Amino acid sequence: MTALRALVRKELASLFGTPTAYLALTMVALVTALIFFDHLRLYNQILFVYASATMGGFATDSIPDYVNLWDSVFFPVMETLGLTLIGVVPLVTMRAFAEERARGTDELILTTHLTPGQIVLAKFGVAYLFVASMMAVSFLYPVMAIEQGGLGLEHLSAVYLGLVLHGIGLASIGLVCSAFTSSQLVAAISAWAIAFLLWDLSWASSFVGERVAEILDALSIQPRYSSFAGGVVSLANVIYFAGIALVSLAAARFSFDLRRVSG
Amino acid sequence: MRALALAGLIALAFGLGSYYATGERTLYATLNLGAGALALAAAALLALRRLRFAAGSHSRRVLLRGLLGVAGALALAIALERAAAWSGWRSDLTFEQSFELAPATRKALAELPRELTATLFHDRFDPRARNTRLLLASLAEAGPVTVRERLLADAPEDVDRFGIAGSNTVVLTLGSRFETVERPLEATLYEALYRLRSRTHGVIGVLRGEGEGDVSSSAELGFSGLAAALATEGYELHSLVTSSLAEVPADIDVVLLLGPRRALLPESIAALERYLERGGRLVAMLEPGAQSGIEPLLARWGIEAPDGVIVDPAAGASSGGDPGVDPIAYNYEAHPLARGLNPDRMTFFAGARPLVPHNVGAGDSVRRVVLASPRSWVSPDLSLLSRRSGRLEPGTAPQDYHTIAAAGRYPRPGGEARIVVFGDSDFASNRYLRALYNLDLALNAVHWAVERESEITLRPKLRTPKQFPLPLENTLRTFHGVGLLVPELLLLAGGLVWLRRRTA
Amino acid sequence: MNGAVASADVDALPLPGRGIAIEAHTLTRRFGERLALDALTLRIERGASFALLGANGAGKTTFIRLVTGALLPTSGSLTVDGISPALRPAEVHARIGFVMETSRLYPEMRVRGFLRFMGGARGLAGAALVRAVDAALARFQLEPVASRLVGNLSKGYQQRVSLAQAFLDDPPLLIVDEPTGGLDPVQRREVQALLRGLRGKCTLLLCTHDLEEARTLATRVGVLHAGRLVAEGEPSELLGGADELALFRASVERAT
Repeated sequence: MTALRALVRKELASLFGTPTAYLALTMVALVTALIFFDHLRLYNQILFVYASATMGGFATDSIPDYVNLWDSVFFPVMETLGLTLIGVVPLVTMRAFAEERARGTDELILTTHLTPGQIVLAKFGVAYLFVASMMAVSFLYPVMAIEQGGLGLEHLSAVYLGLVLHGIGLASIGLVCSAFTSSQLVAAISAWAIAFLLWDLSWASSFVGERVAEILDALSIQPRYSSFAGGVVSLANVIYFAGIALVSLAAARFSFDLRRVSG
Repeated sequence: MRALALAGLIALAFGLGSYYATGERTLYATLNLGAGALALAAAALLALRRLRFAAGSHSRRVLLRGLLGVAGALALAIALERAAAWSGWRSDLTFEQSFELAPATRKALAELPRELTATLFHDRFDPRARNTRLLLASLAEAGPVTVRERLLADAPEDVDRFGIAGSNTVVLTLGSRFETVERPLEATLYEALYRLRSRTHGVIGVLRGEGEGDVSSSAELGFSGLAAALATEGYELHSLVTSSLAEVPADIDVVLLLGPRRALLPESIAALERYLERGGRLVAMLEPGAQSGIEPLLARWGIEAPDGVIVDPAAGASSGGDPGVDPIAYNYEAHPLARGLNPDRMTFFAGARPLVPHNVGAGDSVRRVVLASPRSWVSPDLSLLSRRSGRLEPGTAPQDYHTIAAAGRYPRPGGEARIVVFGDSDFASNRYLRALYNLDLALNAVHWAVERESEITLRPKLRTPKQFPLPLENTLRTFHGVGLLVPELLLLAGGLVWLRRRTA
Repeated sequence: MNGAVASADVDALPLPGRGIAIEAHTLTRRFGERLALDALTLRIERGASFALLGANGAGKTTFIRLVTGALLPTSGSLTVDGISPALRPAEVHARIGFVMETSRLYPEMRVRGFLRFMGGARGLAGAALVRAVDAALARFQLEPVASRLVGNLSKGYQQRVSLAQAFLDDPPLLIVDEPTGGLDPVQRREVQALLRGLRGKCTLLLCTHDLEEARTLATRVGVLHAGRLVAEGEPSELLGGADELALFRASVERAT
């Protein structure tokens, strides 16, 4: 445990001691704020048009159902953020294992009391912590903007949970790609490719039968993530993202064995 | 090997990208995907061959153990996810509880005689389909429902057959029957379910001729909404004209009286009483300040209805009235008719007269059902109903739980008679029927009266999402205060870290 | 580098029972079709200072990676203190300190922070960790640079940092890979003096392609060529005399 604690401390210092982490946090927070503000302003304008048309009242019968705070503002922002994270998270995770392998420091720390399992756990844990803080930072503005309107904080917490799980899933994919290469670029590119592929597998439905298409749909990230954005916390969806993390952990651990065999 | 892997990845990426961009399975996309998959497979095989050549027996054991670990993790993840999906556990945290099905919907789904197919027709990027998808998934979990999706562009024949007018339309198919729902919310789907099942619960005789509420009128104070809801619940509505009512016909399961403005003719009242003595059923909605003529009849059957206005300070002012003159009831006795109603599920009455129930004959059971708050009192001043301002004081009138609705069961030689009386009729009018739980109260009263107590339930509400705006100045303030400030601080922190590293 | 460095008596004999032994028997390792180690049989005695000599690509680093358990052998056996690094790497790691090339450090960490991390990774904590770090800083004369970033140090100081982290928990086996690579002559002499000071305190496995280094630091030398051990003996046997290079070349030619 002493060794594990030392590694976690070192990883945290390494992550938050480099400008890259802050750049990633800044980018996500800024993009979220800008998109959110833009959608909010547009939404207000649409409502104003309807208010003018109904002579000053917000008679909700005249406004289409889909013109509401969730569908017009939150959902587009969450969808965009989901895709933005696919772009950003692999940039943060690409160096986790690949840099150590490139430098040769992985072999150095493997000669200590640290086992490959502990190394994997530490790096994954720190990456997840970073992802959660990235989500918190990016979520701050939407929460403060919406909270004034007195809307459901429970719904917001479901959205945040979805963001965190989505981020954890992406971080897991990024970390496992980093574990199998010594090139950060290859790690990032392969993580992007896998994440984009998994984002929405409905494209395959025209190539395969219905049963296989259903399975592929169950593997896709987007419907699961959208469910959280919709305010529904489903145990199956939580386990889906936890499953990505579990399989990634096992695969990253396996990369150490592979390295010992292949050199 | 690396060259093959690189070529494979590039081919896959371009193949996928082509499909994403055009939405079509072109020769270019297929060839790239196929070539990419082949190249990656070849690279993998080469890597395996190289590995096998280099690895000793111990190495093979280590690799196998590692691969089994990965496979085990994958199997565990899939098994847990499937188990969770099968359990269907989920929590609806939306403000409107949009995805929690109402008990009535669950009941309707549970009673489906066979598999129901719900097909969602939508355009490719219609954002409304997302919520509809979640709603249909909720239905599928609650009953034998198969959910399908089809793009409108791919189903022109279905568009004609089902009369689909636009995107985000759901077609419910039960056997050979179908219902097309253009605005798929839980309430509209529920009504479509009922239309599909088309069960009949009985015949309602609606009295008219003395200024009662008009079930064919869609005006604010009309009762067309109630009529439609009763029809959905499986009732046929027949008109009973009081001026020519000699006897209540035998096929009438329940008589409905909707707030007459003038007193019924004595002959009508007598016919009504004979009907009740034969084991008939009556649902009467009275109005304060209007003498229906049946008050003495009701008194004989144990429900006194003195004229007056219930003033309940627990209810705030509604549009056009004094505070407290329009009671919002949240106290219910434990009565089958009020099943499911509780202090969180309120009912609204626009001006109500008090009722005083008491048992008359042996074996009769006359009970109060819906009560105003314990701070309410009865005022004889009917002008309160039309006054626009003023603070009301009870004076010497006793404050107590005053009865707004009462129900009685009366065993008679011809069968058990049942009477439900409301001190207000406006609560069931078009203007207020969909407010709070008024619809459920009105329909459940009829179900109870005809002894179809299994139909007593709470129905899905036509919830619309919050659509009010956020004031722009607030939004701007938060944008600058948090939206821009946070990234700025982060960037500063990153810059400080960078500078510190440079000078260390 | 400034200042004298501490050193023990260069001719001190190894203390009986100190250090651990390494035994390899027909140890083979392939990379694809390339044979990196070819049936290597070797024994390094407890307490010995053993220099594994060879040109670049001879298999020295491969052997080290097998000893540390970072690689699995294709065939043959290898034990460190009777324990197989392939089967029980964690137990072997508890017994070794590893000095790698200077590029294999964390340039973004400060010296003290790096040593604290490596000490913690070796199971030291609390006061024991602080003591070990302070002792290592003093022993390897790193106090003046303790708060500087490792990446900003000179190569000589980086090598001292590398040595210091290996010795935090006084390991019975010290593996040193190319300790003076890239150093200037002054720095090289100082590092060699440091290593000489460690003789007798543990088993030392030194990998180098520098004949002079092998002669001055080792009690036994093995010559590796194309993955095979082509010569083994006392430094004076193999490397004494005017033309060490010729001897080295001859021994290589004998094997081919």
